[in-house]
Amino acid sequence: MWSNRIMYTQFVKNTRHVLTVSAVCLGLISNAQAQSAAEQAVEAAKQYSGVTLNVLYEAGLQPLDPKNFTGPLWEELTGIKINVIESPVDQMFTKAMQDFRSGSGGYDLLNVIPNQLPDLAMSGALEPLDDYVDKYNYHEELQGIAPVYRDNQMKVEGKIYALPDDGDVLILYYRRDLFDDPANQSAFEEKYGYPLAPPETWQQFSEIGQFMTDAYEPETYGAGLLRQPGNAQYMFQERFRVEGGRFFDPDSMDATVNSDIGIKVFTEMRAENSWMPPGVEQWGFIEAFNAFLAGDIAMTISWPPVGRWAAGYGKGTEALNWIPETKVADKVGYALPPGGTPELAVGFSLAVASGSANKEAAYLFAQWMNSEEISLQRVQLPYALRDPFRTSHFASEEYRSRWSNAGEYLDVLQKGAETGLLDLSLLQTDRYEEALRQAISRLWSGEDAKKILDDLAEDWDQLTKRIGVDKQKRVYADWASKPNAYP
Amino acid sequence: MLKTLLDNDRTFRYLLVAPAVFFILLIGLYPFIKLIIASFQNISLFDDIRSFQGLLNYERLLSDDRLWHSIVRTLLFTAVALPIELVLGYLLAVLFLEKIPFKAALISIILLPTIISPIVAGATWRLMLDQRFGPVNQIISWLAGTDVKLLWTVSASLVWPAILIAEVWQWTPFMFLLLYAALSNVDREQLEAAQIDGASWWMTFRRIVLPAIMPVMFIAVLIRALDLFRVFDLVWTMTQGGPGTATETLSIYAYQMAFREFEISYSAAIAFLVIVLLTVFVVAALRRVEVSR
Amino acid sequence: MNRRDTGWRLWLRFAIALGVTLIFAFPVYWLVAISFKSPEEVYAYPPVWFPQQLDVSSYLTLFRDGDVVAVWNSLITAGISTVLAMLVGTLAAYSIVRFRTGGDHLSIWIISQRMIPPICVAFPIFLLYVSWNLVDSYVGLIMLYTAFNIPYVTWMMRGYIQDIPIELEQSAMIDGLTRWQVLRKVVMPMARGGLFATAVFTFIFAWNDFIFALILSKSEVVTYTVKVTGYFGSQSTFWSKISAMSVLGVLPMFVVVATMQKFIVRGVSMGAVKG
Repeated sequence: MWSNRIMYTQFVKNTRHVLTVSAVCLGLISNAQAQSAAEQAVEAAKQYSGVTLNVLYEAGLQPLDPKNFTGPLWEELTGIKINVIESPVDQMFTKAMQDFRSGSGGYDLLNVIPNQLPDLAMSGALEPLDDYVDKYNYHEELQGIAPVYRDNQMKVEGKIYALPDDGDVLILYYRRDLFDDPANQSAFEEKYGYPLAPPETWQQFSEIGQFMTDAYEPETYGAGLLRQPGNAQYMFQERFRVEGGRFFDPDSMDATVNSDIGIKVFTEMRAENSWMPPGVEQWGFIEAFNAFLAGDIAMTISWPPVGRWAAGYGKGTEALNWIPETKVADKVGYALPPGGTPELAVGFSLAVASGSANKEAAYLFAQWMNSEEISLQRVQLPYALRDPFRTSHFASEEYRSRWSNAGEYLDVLQKGAETGLLDLSLLQTDRYEEALRQAISRLWSGEDAKKILDDLAEDWDQLTKRIGVDKQKRVYADWASKPNAYP
Repeated sequence: MLKTLLDNDRTFRYLLVAPAVFFILLIGLYPFIKLIIASFQNISLFDDIRSFQGLLNYERLLSDDRLWHSIVRTLLFTAVALPIELVLGYLLAVLFLEKIPFKAALISIILLPTIISPIVAGATWRLMLDQRFGPVNQIISWLAGTDVKLLWTVSASLVWPAILIAEVWQWTPFMFLLLYAALSNVDREQLEAAQIDGASWWMTFRRIVLPAIMPVMFIAVLIRALDLFRVFDLVWTMTQGGPGTATETLSIYAYQMAFREFEISYSAAIAFLVIVLLTVFVVAALRRVEVSR
Repeated sequence: MNRRDTGWRLWLRFAIALGVTLIFAFPVYWLVAISFKSPEEVYAYPPVWFPQQLDVSSYLTLFRDGDVVAVWNSLITAGISTVLAMLVGTLAAYSIVRFRTGGDHLSIWIISQRMIPPICVAFPIFLLYVSWNLVDSYVGLIMLYTAFNIPYVTWMMRGYIQDIPIELEQSAMIDGLTRWQVLRKVVMPMARGGLFATAVFTFIFAWNDFIFALILSKSEVVTYTVKVTGYFGSQSTFWSKISAMSVLGVLPMFVVVATMQKFIVRGVSMGAVKG
């Protein structure tokens, strides 16, 4: 117990988490005042002391939260052990499904990518959570989750299957010093006839990028975007819709991704590569943020951690020692990407596996992690990949004072959470995405845009036919009717 | 005497093979039967349907362009990689037959690629060929005198060369090892006699060397051909079959169908087709060895 | 000594051989070098050829997070299955050679089992293991690797055993040894070189397996090949972890091959020749 305490003190020092201390004491607080959701979860979970929960997490940085922070803390509070099982993100769905079909009950708590929620829920792999939410009075705190996540990443056919737990959104990061430079400003305005500012359209994005590349190449390029097919498919989904594209014809369920809009977006995406750093086609999250931190690019669009790490947040944390030192710490500006409706790419919700032998304990752990108190700390873990997803996170004075313009950062995230676009979600979504990923990798390899998109539409139509046109049509109509499906 | 030794004790001889047969049946037979049954069903992990649907999956095989493309691709890759490995391996073996200082040490080092896991070989070559952080583009840039940024694992015209480089790098040493051993056994006196008789290099090779190393070469080629035909790990780490399906080999396609798309029954039909094709090929090839012996 | 073995010819050959060796060794060096680079050096452009100092933090991370267990898992599964496969396969080979058990059919049937691409039977095996509750277990992987290596062992050992003069066994039996004793005291020692060489390769095959381990492991028995590919995340490709884990996974192989080199070179060729 005491050695644990010391470990925690160390941890608190390391990560400068004053709040952790109060959380450690949570279990000791008397029941004098009304219990918070976190306290209730801890109280109720104590009956499961000695149990081990298997929790499925995306491999990489994500598991550091349960391994270093919530896991040990939860064990100390309740006696329940957390065993983190890591899987590459593209294997998570396979693993969860395999486990469910095999009936082996290998997982208790799952991290579910929200657009795969329908598949998992409808096949019976997930446990409905409404009864637990009632039982442990979690409704009120659930309301504190930003609406776009709460309304779209929680329910399937009216039932709660998962707790939205990650405010993933792709926003624009830019170099304020380059954008504010008077010489750049006058030169840009003279050439293009409008002031130099974060781009609001993709046309502007392209012009600004070209301008910056011309001015600073090869030290700095105009932008470097996520081009690896696994990441780039989200950027395509966003741009395609920003430009007015629709994925399917709602009546026939024919894929309309090969429309002129699709071709335009594909063509533009490839054209932009010419002024981005050579080899940008291979860039994923790591490459793009490395380049941004090193000052190699003036703009990038990526997940929220980039914004924190670029500002120098988390510097000196051991778990982040693989991140090169940021050279742009005080120069990072935040904005919504062109079009103003960022992709709510990926994200994670916490769901209880229906095959679990410890469903209630698993739910309680999820409620506790997801609660106002604990989640606020989790999204501030310097090494975490969990991004602010509650109204209170965006407003947190503590978070807003983490670095000089952390307030701006949180404001942009909050705006994104209002206008953001949902990832396409259908039955067997993963297969549609796989086809899209393949299309994008063909795009980089130089094939004709129209041909690729025609093939993609053909692939999608085949999938739809195999799954059942009417069945899929209903699911699509349901998805498309959500306010954040199309701008 | 010999006859009695061989003939007595029937139980003993069967006892000796029993564990092997048991293991192979245990792990081999059930899955095989399961496979055949599943291939006539309509199983997908997404739902609980288990209905039989006759030959539908097999009909689908015939019209599945992606499958046939992956088979052709795999065969082409085998047809290109194998001769390169064979020739390079042979040349290396000839070189090392001569007296060379530190021969044993050099051979040990050359063998390194063959013993590392294909997964690691793939990862290593992704590092080597990274357009920015990798040394290959850097070296090419030096040689070319200008900055060269080849997208080895992205652009359609370079992915196959990239995989080929990794494959040849990893398995040429294997060919070398086998051929080196075989060449060491070639009768030196016979070679010298041929030389004195003024036989040309080609004649010597065809009449003396080739027959001597033929059995080894045949086995080596067979082993490598089968490994190449089911190549998975190396391609998986380097490209995952991309861009698009440009490097999707048969094994990768089968994996995608079974474990990404959950088309269990259809992937069973694919597996059955592959097993039938391979068995016919292998049995024919092995019978040839037996006959030629 | 031949004239060709002296003077500049010798050194020319050495230079060529050295060059070839360097080409084959360089990617391995690069892998090792990356595992010792600092984060800045890993992502440096132009690439850094020689790390400034040996940064072992990649390895420390693997040890601290317990990722190295994967190497241990590989050792257990590959090690035990190698012993089992050698035992079972050698016995079968002896029976096939000395008693012509099953004629050509048995041996061809056995070897043809090795030709089946793992991916083809992976799913049925997964289902089988689910019903036997063997997913994510040592026993499951060991059984699988054993079964898949028996054909190879049988095939190779067949060649070695054919080489053992039958007269030796005859005289041993005349001396009163039982069949089992003949096998243990005459055949096994005679085939020692072959046993070693075959065992090394059997071990390598099991060690390098990826597909089965990928499909049949979940959290407990994750082998090192699966672990390495796990670092190719969509949000994070950890090159330093990938390279460090690869080095840890390749190291045992290097040790085995370095100590067994004599057996391997001779063994492989003989096995193949007699195959």
